[in-house]
Amino acid sequence: MAIVPGMTDLTRPYWENANAGRLVTQRCGTCGRGWHPPLPACPHCHGTDLGWQQVRGDGTVYSCTVVRHATHAALADQIPYVIAIVELAEGPRLVTGITGCAPEDVRVGMAVRACFLRVADGIALPYFEPA
Amino acid sequence: MIRREVAIVGIGQTQYAKALPPAAWDLAIEAVTAALADAGIDPADVDGMCRFAAPFEPVSEPMLVRALGIRELTFFAQSPLGGEALGAVVAHAAAAIVAGLARVVVVYRALSQSKGGRFGRADRGRSEPAGDIVVPEEDNRSFAWPYGLMSPGQLFALWAARYAAVHGLSAEDLTQALGSIALTQRRYAHNNPAAMMRDRKLDWDTYRRARMISEPLRLFDLCLENDGACAYVLTSADAARSLREDPVYVLSATQTLSPYREPMGIYTDDLLTLFPPAAAERLFAQAGVTRADVDVAEFYDATSFMPLRSLESYGFVPDGQAWRYVVDQGTGPDSPLPVNTHGGHLSEAYLHGMNGVLEGVRQLRGTARNQVTDAAVALVGAPAGSAMILAR
Repeated sequence: MAIVPGMTDLTRPYWENANAGRLVTQRCGTCGRGWHPPLPACPHCHGTDLGWQQVRGDGTVYSCTVVRHATHAALADQIPYVIAIVELAEGPRLVTGITGCAPEDVRVGMAVRACFLRVADGIALPYFEPA
Repeated sequence: MIRREVAIVGIGQTQYAKALPPAAWDLAIEAVTAALADAGIDPADVDGMCRFAAPFEPVSEPMLVRALGIRELTFFAQSPLGGEALGAVVAHAAAAIVAGLARVVVVYRALSQSKGGRFGRADRGRSEPAGDIVVPEEDNRSFAWPYGLMSPGQLFALWAARYAAVHGLSAEDLTQALGSIALTQRRYAHNNPAAMMRDRKLDWDTYRRARMISEPLRLFDLCLENDGACAYVLTSADAARSLREDPVYVLSATQTLSPYREPMGIYTDDLLTLFPPAAAERLFAQAGVTRADVDVAEFYDATSFMPLRSLESYGFVPDGQAWRYVVDQGTGPDSPLPVNTHGGHLSEAYLHGMNGVLEGVRQLRGTARNQVTDAAVALVGAPAGSAMILAR
């Protein structure tokens, strides 16, 4: 049983790109700034000419925690798992998981690279692995 | 300015327990009725009502207006979110009174987690149908839940882990700091007949060995889950003085909201900056007091990490120093600033900070079980920066 993101018109492009193996953030066509999560208008210049920009995929672990107690029945068999906030090289942060190492080995400040985990038909989640 | 123009004249609460038979509506009526009786005010005379908004607060203004026989509300206001509403409801009540929009304002909070779902369980205790769970997008939940970030405790763990990393704490340093807070608040609760943990001992061994929920936070680093209701009544200072000899004056009340606070900060500029520092400066400037004037603090503590970080955020201890401060000086009765003298959310009960307001009022009336000698000024505040300064 997977937990998959419901989508809105605003968020759907993010997940469609992830499904195609591209990590993107929203970007303002007027002032060029990027941010995540997506918004209906540019929070900097208030422009509404918005697009999506692929990021390099490099990032750093900003914070992390190993979850040892399931707060949802769907997660009981994944305990222990790690949740991380990764800060992309471009600046925005996102909530993610870390693969390629034990949950206990993830450290704040660790260099990571984006990868993708298919969890359901048409849905791949951005994850990160040690760089 | 609201400074000393408004006062709390009545407080009321229900029993606090893991599960109470009455529905939230009944609990709200009980607490509000008790607060009005404490104030000596006839419920029919209530003309203002301030509350936390849905989905947090299940009891609406219409439900109380018809159940209490209130003649007419001339002012009502709701505040969104949880901790963000703590001081906001007081600010709204005070503003209404000062502006002449209402004379008697009730603030209430009723919780029936046993029936309405526990905040700590993402599945609300219901069994889901088989198949993938689709997370409807709201407040960026769809970007978090697929990774298993689904409950407040996990988010608080991310805050605490960042704090430890930024300030160079070892896991043991953090355990000692958080444990000091948890144990001190448990000891306060032992003197408090209303506290759910009044008879449950908590020593270092039990604290350390308890289940790790989400590293670095253990079971006793997270608040209780319970049913119950709290309420208090505000009037103008003049009206207050005709009602009782010990009105508790509101010196200031703040609310603050900045980008990505919802519902709790993940994408904020700095994960450790829980609210703009300007909000704390406003709180003190509008009150006309300094940190040194505060005799007791009731800090919203959904987790033990919150009082620790609140000591810094509200300016009592420099950033990065509170972990050492709580180990060396503590938050107990003999410390420079007693914190959560009722046991807090960790050991009295979890009422979204409202029970902290009631304890602040008791401290200033001189009727608290863990009374701070000559307490004259109390700060009641949430880590979200919504807070109030009260004084006798």
